[in-house]
Amino acid sequence: MLKNLNIWFLSSLIVSLIVLIPILTVFSSFFDETSNYYQILKDTFLFEYISNSLILLFFVLIFTFFIGTGTAYLVSFFEFPLSNFFKWALILSFAVPPYIYAYSLTAFFENYGTAFTILKNLFGDANYNENIPKLDGMFGAILSITFSLYAYVYILARASFLYQSQNLIDLGKNLGFSKFKSFYKVILPSARPAIIAGLSLVAMETLAEFGAVDFFSINTLTTGIYNSWITFDDLAFANRISSFLLLFIFSLFIIENLSRKKAKYHFNSRGGLKQKNKTKLYGSKSFLAFIFCFFILFLSFLFPLSQMLYWTLKFPENLFDLQIIELFSNTLYLVLLSGLLLIVFSLISNYGNRVSKNKALNFLSTLSISGYAIPGVILAIAFITFIAWFDNNIIKSLGFISIKKFFIGSILGLVLVYFIRFYSLAFNGIKSGYEKINISVDESAYLLGYSKRKTFMNIHVPFLRNSLLFIIILISLEIIRELPITLILRPFNFETFATTAYISASEDLLEAAAVPSLFLILIASLFIIVSSKYILRENNE
Amino acid sequence: MNKNFFEVKNVDFKVGGKTKVANVSFAIEKEGDVICLLGPSGIGKTTILRTIAGLEKIKKGSIELNGNVLSSEKKNVEPENRNISLAFQENSLFPHYTVEKNILLGAERNKDKKDHQINFQEIIELLDISLILKKYPHEISAGEAQRVSLARSVITQPDLLLLDEPLSNVDQSFKEEIQEKLKRILKSSKITTIIVTHDSYEAFYLGSKCGIILNQELKQFDNPYNVYHLPNSIEVVNFLNRGTLIPAEVTSPKSLENKDLGTITGNFLKPFPIGTKVKLLIQPEDLHHDDKSNLKFEVVDRKFRGTNFIYTLKTPSDTFIPVFVHSHHIHQHDVDEKFGVKRPIHIDHIVCF
Repeated sequence: MLKNLNIWFLSSLIVSLIVLIPILTVFSSFFDETSNYYQILKDTFLFEYISNSLILLFFVLIFTFFIGTGTAYLVSFFEFPLSNFFKWALILSFAVPPYIYAYSLTAFFENYGTAFTILKNLFGDANYNENIPKLDGMFGAILSITFSLYAYVYILARASFLYQSQNLIDLGKNLGFSKFKSFYKVILPSARPAIIAGLSLVAMETLAEFGAVDFFSINTLTTGIYNSWITFDDLAFANRISSFLLLFIFSLFIIENLSRKKAKYHFNSRGGLKQKNKTKLYGSKSFLAFIFCFFILFLSFLFPLSQMLYWTLKFPENLFDLQIIELFSNTLYLVLLSGLLLIVFSLISNYGNRVSKNKALNFLSTLSISGYAIPGVILAIAFITFIAWFDNNIIKSLGFISIKKFFIGSILGLVLVYFIRFYSLAFNGIKSGYEKINISVDESAYLLGYSKRKTFMNIHVPFLRNSLLFIIILISLEIIRELPITLILRPFNFETFATTAYISASEDLLEAAAVPSLFLILIASLFIIVSSKYILRENNE
Repeated sequence: MNKNFFEVKNVDFKVGGKTKVANVSFAIEKEGDVICLLGPSGIGKTTILRTIAGLEKIKKGSIELNGNVLSSEKKNVEPENRNISLAFQENSLFPHYTVEKNILLGAERNKDKKDHQINFQEIIELLDISLILKKYPHEISAGEAQRVSLARSVITQPDLLLLDEPLSNVDQSFKEEIQEKLKRILKSSKITTIIVTHDSYEAFYLGSKCGIILNQELKQFDNPYNVYHLPNSIEVVNFLNRGTLIPAEVTSPKSLENKDLGTITGNFLKPFPIGTKVKLLIQPEDLHHDDKSNLKFEVVDRKFRGTNFIYTLKTPSDTFIPVFVHSHHIHQHDVDEKFGVKRPIHIDHIVCF
């Protein structure tokens, strides 16, 4: 064991321990004493939390499957007007988090909302409110989450279609299959692992979703955790619900990982990378394909963007009230700190795995990337629980001053929890970069007289430069959209675009939420456009 | 006492704790010699090279270069400090550098070496890579990548050059030309080299000595002529696949008797007591064709090899014997025809097991 103790091992051990803290805290708190509210909640809301979470999950999975796979199939196999534009534009929906979608939906369909104004301008005064559907509640939440998350399925399904063997498709034609039969007999089954991986990600994100369900007042397990802590001040009960949710999420995590591994085997490199002949669509088929993709792009991205833009222009005073520079610098500060920490640790861990070939190290690395599966609300509350326990039982008993203020309501605590949540992004990003460098390249460098440090600096770092840039963009994208962790752990008076939008919306000031939401969408869109080549896996990923 | 330039003594070559080749000993006597290690795929040839390069450690025996111990149970000189270059079989070029930069990185290593300096221009012309210098590794073919890797390793001017299947991805039509060039470069630059290959002709052409690795052992380490004509075990005969073993009985210190071929005379490599039943190695060159001979066998196969034919003959006791015939021989024999073998049969070196 002692011979394993080197910087790489220690670094992976530290990261794994940090990731393990919330998981262990949640499960160890399961048997803690809860307040009287526990019984009340158990008898009243617990069933509702679980059933609502499952209803939400069921419909979101169905909708994201059809939208994600359908759009991926169209842009991968057919040529129609703007098909190349849709290829990357369809991932712009990532720029709109479900809670901002929820604000847009409400703003448009509410009484005297945007839909009402449009109808009034077109047809004059009338009581349109009665006829405008109210897309809120469970249906609103399903729509918001679906349009924000379908891109997970779209990206993975498209990558799978892209690398699918042309020979396989030719074989289907040779056997006389129609296009539809080819799709469900050949194309879909071989893309199944990728689609399941995408759906598992959607499922994890749906179960972790907080902002949209909270806005529509849907009681799910996530809002239950948050309310147990905020309303009833009962951390133990919050952790008890968390453990139910975590068990469920970890089973999804395992499914997702297994599917990803299978997805790799389904990539046929021989002939798989051959440029596929796209079928050119004509007439009504071409029009229908275009309309379908445009409709999805419109609903998922253009609609919330224009709604937020409309309100920003309609209520310009909100724009001037907003401390844009402060919000921007706060976000940048969090991105830089977290990004630096994440990249340093994941570089060390990846390099350690590469040079030491140690099984224990490999196991620790796998463990340490599981943080992304834990919902932000659980992470934040478990972190508070752990710090409170550590402070009361260890620090104070040793006679030191309390450390709570350094971790709770501080940048340090916030960055640490971001670190747990987004470590897998950085680790896997660097790992996929490293997988493209054959190990014999390192050995050649040693044999040319390079030391390990020189090999790392002169060979690895220049080669990984693009991966590092991409990771920074992804981390920025995640942090700018992130809501529950920031909301729970941020220092007093420290706001981001996401928290500002949430606070305005929760005070029923949707017009005021529009400006930070618009900035959030625009900045996130910029990041997505810059990194679209990588997100779409067109860079030999 | 003459000290060998390079020596492997009683080494067990292992990878991941599993022994690939055990108790290996061989030596390269002089600086500038080229030797080849020959064996089937997956037998451990690459492991031997990786261990000599310092990429794998040893727990038994020693590896010495120029009088210095590089690897032993107690000592392990790091790869970067050995001045040994290894050209990998797979693409090991630095992916973010051009072909030119990749080769120049090799040139940097021993730029101060005064004697027999290898010229960059010379090597790129010899290996025919001047047209791809500005390309990146992902833009060239596997065969080109292998030649670039070879150039980078050679230009390093190491104390010991290790080549792992250096021409396995090179087109057959181009292979002989590259072999000739490689031999010329290695000779002119006096770089001591160990080449690993599974192609026996490549090994016989390039190496002054060849080691045959079979069944986790170095079975034979000798000059190519002896490995070919005087194999020291049945395994080596089977591996080289160049003859057949037929039953015979020793009848005198210079003759044997086989049921189908009759008396065979020649010089035994190893003496056997009279009356010993042995397996006699018959190689294609050992028997000669004679249309007038009354010793005739049925032709069961005929392989045309350009300069020659190799006929496979079936004897009455169901053994199959290969016979070499020059392709300009006046007439050919079809399958099922009778084929005469010249008598008396005399084999210069009689190899028996």
